[in-house]
Amino acid sequence: MKKRRSFVIALVASLMALSFGPSLVAGQEQTTIEIYFPIAVDSPITEILEEYAAAYEAENPGVDIVWSYEGGYPDVKTKLLTTMEGGGDLPELAIMLATDIYDLRNAEAIQPWDSYLSEEVLADFFPAWLANSYYDYDQDGEAELYGIPFQRSTVLLFYNRDLLSEAGLEPPTNWDELATTAQQLTTDERWGILIPNSWPYWVFQPFAIGTGQNIVSESDTEVFFNTEGVISALQFWLDLFQVYKATPEGVQSNWGDAPGLFASGDAAMIVHSTGSLPSVVQNAGFDFGVSGLPGRDGGFYTVTGGGNLYLVAGVDEATAQQAADFVAWLTSPEMAVDWSIRTGYITTRMSGLETEAWQAYIEKVPQAAEAAATIEQAGREFSVQSLAEVRDIFHGYVLRVLGGEISPEEAMAAAQQEADAILSIYGG
Amino acid sequence: MATNTLDTLRTTWTRRVRPRLKPLPYLLLLPTLYFVFLFTILPTFKVLRDSQIYYHPNRPDRALDTNLQLPGIEPMPRSIRGPHAVGFSYFRAMFDFNSEIGRQFRQVMVNTLIYVAATVPSSMLLAFVFATLVNRKVRGIGLARVAFFYPTMLPMVSAATIWLFFFTPGYGLFNSTLRFFGYSGPENWIINPSLGLWALVIVAIWKNAGYFMIFYLAGLQNLPDDVYEAASLDGANWWVKMFRITLPLLKRTTLFVSVIAIIGAFQTIDHALVMTYELVTGEADLLLYEIYQQRFVLQNYGLANALTVVMIVILLGLTLVNFLISERDEDGP
Repeated sequence: MKKRRSFVIALVASLMALSFGPSLVAGQEQTTIEIYFPIAVDSPITEILEEYAAAYEAENPGVDIVWSYEGGYPDVKTKLLTTMEGGGDLPELAIMLATDIYDLRNAEAIQPWDSYLSEEVLADFFPAWLANSYYDYDQDGEAELYGIPFQRSTVLLFYNRDLLSEAGLEPPTNWDELATTAQQLTTDERWGILIPNSWPYWVFQPFAIGTGQNIVSESDTEVFFNTEGVISALQFWLDLFQVYKATPEGVQSNWGDAPGLFASGDAAMIVHSTGSLPSVVQNAGFDFGVSGLPGRDGGFYTVTGGGNLYLVAGVDEATAQQAADFVAWLTSPEMAVDWSIRTGYITTRMSGLETEAWQAYIEKVPQAAEAAATIEQAGREFSVQSLAEVRDIFHGYVLRVLGGEISPEEAMAAAQQEADAILSIYGG
Repeated sequence: MATNTLDTLRTTWTRRVRPRLKPLPYLLLLPTLYFVFLFTILPTFKVLRDSQIYYHPNRPDRALDTNLQLPGIEPMPRSIRGPHAVGFSYFRAMFDFNSEIGRQFRQVMVNTLIYVAATVPSSMLLAFVFATLVNRKVRGIGLARVAFFYPTMLPMVSAATIWLFFFTPGYGLFNSTLRFFGYSGPENWIINPSLGLWALVIVAIWKNAGYFMIFYLAGLQNLPDDVYEAASLDGANWWVKMFRITLPLLKRTTLFVSVIAIIGAFQTIDHALVMTYELVTGEADLLLYEIYQQRFVLQNYGLANALTVVMIVILLGLTLVNFLISERDEDGP
């Protein structure tokens, strides 16, 4: 009887030691940094992130990194906002779209990084990645930093070099060449070019920027839909199927299919994210190249995309500093390059391109260097106040233009008017 | 004196009805009541209250001269985020079809009505046909029943994902089949503004017919054999039996199924979230989907609550109609 009791006590004690052990050992110094993370590309993201967490925890025993996978970008944002509203436990960090900065700050969901990150670190980020990172919420003339670039991408033109040289063509360098090249490479079994455009603004922006007219400026309350450049870019999309018959007619709902169709040779060129680079590298049995989108009169243009690291509002200073230290480590040149190589996102740090790992990688995959070069050609991604509403208007009219319901001129005039009506509430 | 009267009254009352109040049943009901209150009654009142509030949490808390772009609100300097009490402005805007909110509301209601009118009768008819087909004693009929019931067992999200493949332009199964029968129209069902709603309708019919079949099958198997025997002796053919005996006897099943079908049609959102999220101008927006959009994507708090009130009123109305009809049926022959 007595023996049995002591056995039970020993069992309970060992169970308690097991469950409370680590926290007892580390004492009160243990800080947990929880990060809401959206899975947006087709790579073994969770494995990579767990590996990073383990590596950081080994160097910093006082810190516990917890990745919390929440679905896609919209899910992370919705979960953060509803958790905040309901008074639940918030994470310390969240990775959300760079373009959500205004919504998030206005909702008081995020706080500035300024006092936690050194100038040195900041100066090493490619400036293009920071185009949607600053917001002067209190209108004191000085914008605060809210988004640290993490998983970032651009829009690329993928072209099948083998098919081009068979036809005796060079990679296109302006709209005319792009259209005629696409036309010449179109056969009964193959499209000259695929531009997935069911969620159009992102793939459209490089075309608009290529005319010298982005659809947004630095301002958070201004859009430039009803402009000669934007209208002619839309007309160019129409011409690709109406005049050149080089792409499927109407709206192309083929975002997920396009990289596969390119890799199998069913499309000679596609417009897609850098995120598709690894899968195309793996599957394409031919030589291919990538570039920014040719501009109307030459030059190459693209637009930034992807997610930034945000510091959640309400995190106390000491924890925020530890979170910032982790972020500085996570976005360090070596880590940024590792992340880039393993996921297809473009490295965020300029000095990353000089690391040995990167040099060795581009030796093997020259397209990665071509993709990284597009950062210098990137314009600011579409982001304004009331983004979802304004974007819906733009999308709606672009789809109607592609569907042949309305001319580009009429569509952009109406889109401008409706967007201005919404943005007018900001006094702009 | 007053106490005396009350006492007499109480005695007569207790004597007439039941002498003892049993606390146990109420105690046992308490947890349920608590959750009904917490998850049904409380939110309903909260929604009613918040439908009269202007609140855009995604806007900066800046005071600007504005009428909030709502009817009946005077322009004055106020925060463009809110919250502001705006009374019934959202409802006024909804029923003013010249306003942006009114135009959207009308489109959403028309979509929802088309969706209900297109899915409910056809899925019920199919369900009935399936039920009569599988209501026979043949070897392997279990397999046929499973086949018809299978779509019901799939979660709506998986069903919608499967249909995304079926709807693929070019080589998708659905389009290939249609082409075989001579169809040559547009094939981008999901992204085409005039087809998106019909894509949702098709998936819903495919998904629900098997479910409703179960009710019809149960109804058919409960029908008395002697009636059919008598009819056969009288020389009634299949047609007469179907329309004079089976259908009238299944009236209650039909009523029940139609009510759950209509309520279900108002409540579906999953397949819309999976399939038509790329349609942005409301061509295929159903009421519940629109509420989700307004609340979580566009962050228009007051309008989302006002739309929820409309939803509650509609569902309450349907429940009431169902209740009245079944009560009347109960009293009748």
